[in-house]
Amino acid sequence: MLPELSAFITLFDPWVLCLILMGVTSGVVVGAIPGLTGAMLISLMLPVTFFMQPYDAIVLLVSMYVGGTSGGLVTATLLRMPGSPSNILTTFDGYPLAKSGRPGRALGLGITASCVGGLIAAVVLFTVTKPLSILATLFGPFEYFSLVIMAMVLIASVSQGSLVKGLIAGFLGMLISMPGVDPSTGMTRLTFDVWRLDGGLKLLPVLVGVFAVGQIISDSLRFGERGQVTEAKTEGILMSFSDLKKSAGNMLRSSLIGTWVGILPGIGASIGSILAYTTQKNLSKEPEKFGHGSEEGIIASEAANNATVGGALIPLIAMGIPGSVVDAILIAALMMHSISPGPTLFVTNGDLVYGMMAAYVVATIAMWVILTFSVRWIARIMTLPMTFLLPVVVVFCMLGAFALSNVMFDVWVMLGFGILGFLMDRGKFPLGPFVIGFILAPIAESKLRTGLMMTAGDPSPVLTRPFSAAFIVVAILLLIVPPLLAWRRARKSVELGDFDAGGD
Amino acid sequence: MFRTAISALAILAATAIPAIADWPEKPIKLIVPFGAGGGSDQMARNIQVGIQENDYLPQPINVVNVTGHFSIGSRQAKDAKADGYTFLQIHMALMGGEGSGAIDFGWRDFEHVAAVGEFCVIPVVRNDIGIKSYSELVEKAKAEPKSLLFGANLGAINHMSGIALSEATGKPEFRYVQIGGSTANFTALTGKQIHLSTMGVSEILKFHLMPDGSVNPDSPLLPLAYAGPERVSALPDLPTLRELGYEIDFCVSNWIFAPKGTPREAVEGMAAAIEKATQTEKMSEWFASRNVNNIVRTGDELEAYLTGVWEVIEPVAKIAAAQK
Repeated sequence: MLPELSAFITLFDPWVLCLILMGVTSGVVVGAIPGLTGAMLISLMLPVTFFMQPYDAIVLLVSMYVGGTSGGLVTATLLRMPGSPSNILTTFDGYPLAKSGRPGRALGLGITASCVGGLIAAVVLFTVTKPLSILATLFGPFEYFSLVIMAMVLIASVSQGSLVKGLIAGFLGMLISMPGVDPSTGMTRLTFDVWRLDGGLKLLPVLVGVFAVGQIISDSLRFGERGQVTEAKTEGILMSFSDLKKSAGNMLRSSLIGTWVGILPGIGASIGSILAYTTQKNLSKEPEKFGHGSEEGIIASEAANNATVGGALIPLIAMGIPGSVVDAILIAALMMHSISPGPTLFVTNGDLVYGMMAAYVVATIAMWVILTFSVRWIARIMTLPMTFLLPVVVVFCMLGAFALSNVMFDVWVMLGFGILGFLMDRGKFPLGPFVIGFILAPIAESKLRTGLMMTAGDPSPVLTRPFSAAFIVVAILLLIVPPLLAWRRARKSVELGDFDAGGD
Repeated sequence: MFRTAISALAILAATAIPAIADWPEKPIKLIVPFGAGGGSDQMARNIQVGIQENDYLPQPINVVNVTGHFSIGSRQAKDAKADGYTFLQIHMALMGGEGSGAIDFGWRDFEHVAAVGEFCVIPVVRNDIGIKSYSELVEKAKAEPKSLLFGANLGAINHMSGIALSEATGKPEFRYVQIGGSTANFTALTGKQIHLSTMGVSEILKFHLMPDGSVNPDSPLLPLAYAGPERVSALPDLPTLRELGYEIDFCVSNWIFAPKGTPREAVEGMAAAIEKATQTEKMSEWFASRNVNNIVRTGDELEAYLTGVWEVIEPVAKIAAAQK
C-alpha cells in the first residue's frame, strides 16, 4: 500500500490542493450550466496543460472531470434541465422533489450519492484494476448490443406516462440518430444532400434543445411569474445516519453497476444511471414513488453516474483504453507530455498513476464539500424570477452548442429541437426515452453490425453467448413482470376500494 | 493539361487578390476536422506551440476543432475566404473519401502548404493464432479466404492500409470488421475478438513493449513487418516488407492545406514557419517520443508526393467502397 499512501501525501501540497479546488469548482459550474459540459471545459483546458507539469495537468483535468459529472445534478434537480446525458434520470425524481418545496433535500441526496458512488468506484479502482479491464475486453459486440437493448427497454419501462408514448418517443429519438456517417461503413447516409448533416445530429444540441430550450419555451409562456417555489427550504442537505443506513444497499449496488458500465469502453454514464435506476425501482418497496420525487431514484441515478467516472479510469490506467470521451482527452494530455498510457503505464509512470487515482478520490471529497456548503445559495435559483434566469440560460445554451464543434448549424439544431421538446412535453411524450433512444441506437446498431461482420451474417450469438443471452432475458423479464405486478396490485386495490394505487 | 489549368488558376488568383506582403496581419485559423486530443489535434497543437513560442510568425495561430465527419471541417476550409488566414490540417482520409465517392471534393481543391511528419504502418496479428511471419499470414489467408478477421475503421486509414498491403502481397483475403482505431483494435485483439489489424509504430511501442524495449509478457500482439522504406529503430528485428520481397510502403503524414487561391506569400510563409517549428528541440522530441519521422515536404516535392499517394489511394478506396 506504500505507493498509494505516498500518492495521497503528495496531494497535500498547497498548490496541488489549490488545483483540485479550482478544477472541481470550475467543473461543477460548467457541468451545472445546461449546454456546457465537463468534456468541453477539459478540451478547452487541454492546450493550457501543455505548459504545466504532467502531474499538475492530470490532477487538474481529473478534478474537472469529477466536478463536471457532479454539477449536472444541480440544474437537473432545480430546473429539470440535465447538465449532461447522465443526469437525465435525476430529472425524473429530483425535479418533482425540489418542486414540492424541498430542493435542499433533493440536492443533498444527489450530492452525497455522487460522492459515495465516486468513492466506491475508487475502491474498485485501487484494488482490482487489471483483472477487471481484461474481463471487459472479453465483452464482444454481441454483449454490447444486448446490454444496450436492455437499457433501451428499461428506459421505456421507467419513464413517466404511458408506455406507448414512451416507446414512440424512444423510436423517434432512434430515427433522428440515423442521418450522418454510417457507423459501419464510413459513408454518409440519409443526409438528403444537405452536407451540414454529414456529421449527423450531435448529442449536445439535441439534449440541450429538447430539455433546456423546450423548458425555456414553456416557462417563458408563463413570464412574469416568480419561480415555482417561493420558499426554498434547504434543510435535509446532510443525509442523516439513518438515511445512510437505509440506502446503503441502494448506494452500493448502484455504484457497482455504474463502475462496471464505466469500465466498458464507449457506452457512457447515461447507461450506468439507467441500469441503476431501474434496478432500484424493481427492488424498491415503493416503486410507485419513482418519477414523483422518489429519494431512492435520485440516489441510484447519481451514485451510478459518478461511479462511471472512476470505472472509466480503470481501463485507462490498466491498458491505455479510454472508457469515455473525457478519458480520451486525458490520454491526449499525457501524450502531449510524451507519456504514453498503455499496459506499461504502471511500470513507466507509477507515481503518476497513483497520483491520478489519489486526485480522483480527493476531488470526489472536495466536490462533496463544495456542493454541500453552497447548496443554500444554489437552491435559491428556484426562487429567482424566470425573467432573469431564462435569458442567461439561453445564452449559455447557444454558446455551448456552438463551442461544441465550432459550427453554427448546431445552434439551429438546438433551437429546432427546443421547439420539438416543447411540443413533445405538451403532448405528454416523455423526453427521457427520446434522448436515450438517440444516444443508444447508434451504439446498438454499430455493435450489432460489427458482430454480424465477424460471423458473416449469423445473428445467433446474441442468444447463444451467455452474457448476451442473460441481458436479453433480463430485459424481457423487466418489461413483462412490473406491469403484471401492477395489474395484480391494481385489481387487489380495486377490490379494497383504494383508487390511489397503481397510478403509474 | 490539368497542371497548366491549375497554374493558370493560381496566376489568376494571385493577380485577382492584391499582393499581401505584410501577411500575416491578423490571427491565423487552423481548422482540424477531428476532435480535441486525437493524433491530428496533437500535431496541430504542437505546430501551433512551436511557431508561437519562437515567434516564427508575428500573429498567433488558433487551432479550431470542427468535429462530426472530417468532411465538414474540410469543406469549411475549402469554402473559406482565400485570404491566407484559414488553413486546414488533414490527412489521407480526404483522398479516401474522394476515391470512394463519399465526398464530392478532394485534395486538388486546395492549395498545398506542407506535409508534416510520417509514420508507416505495421501489420500485427494476435500471438496465439499460430502465425509467426508475414508470409505465413499471406499463406493462411489464401488457403482459407476471409477466415481471418481484420479489425479496422472501415473507409479509414487502417482499412485502406489493409487493402493496399493485401493488393501488393499476393492478395490474401481478410474479412474486414468495423472495430475502430488502434486502441479499439488493441482491445478487440486482447479480447480475442479479431485476428489482425494494422497499427502505427507508437501504438506498438505503447501496447507491446516494456520501457526497456523488451516485449511485454502480457502483450497479445505479434508485429509481422514494417511497411516503410527502412527498419524502424525502436523495433530493430522487425523486417520491412521490402526485405521480404514485397514492393510496398504504406506511410501516413499530416497535410496542411489552404483554400484554393490563397496568396503565395501566405502559403509559402506558412510552410516556412511550419518547417522551422518542426526543427525546434521540443517538437523533435515529441516526434521522437511518438516514433514519427520528422520529415517536412513543401513546394514541388509536396506536389509529387501527394500525386504519388493519390495513385495508391484512389484504387484502394474504390476497392474499400466496393467491399461494403
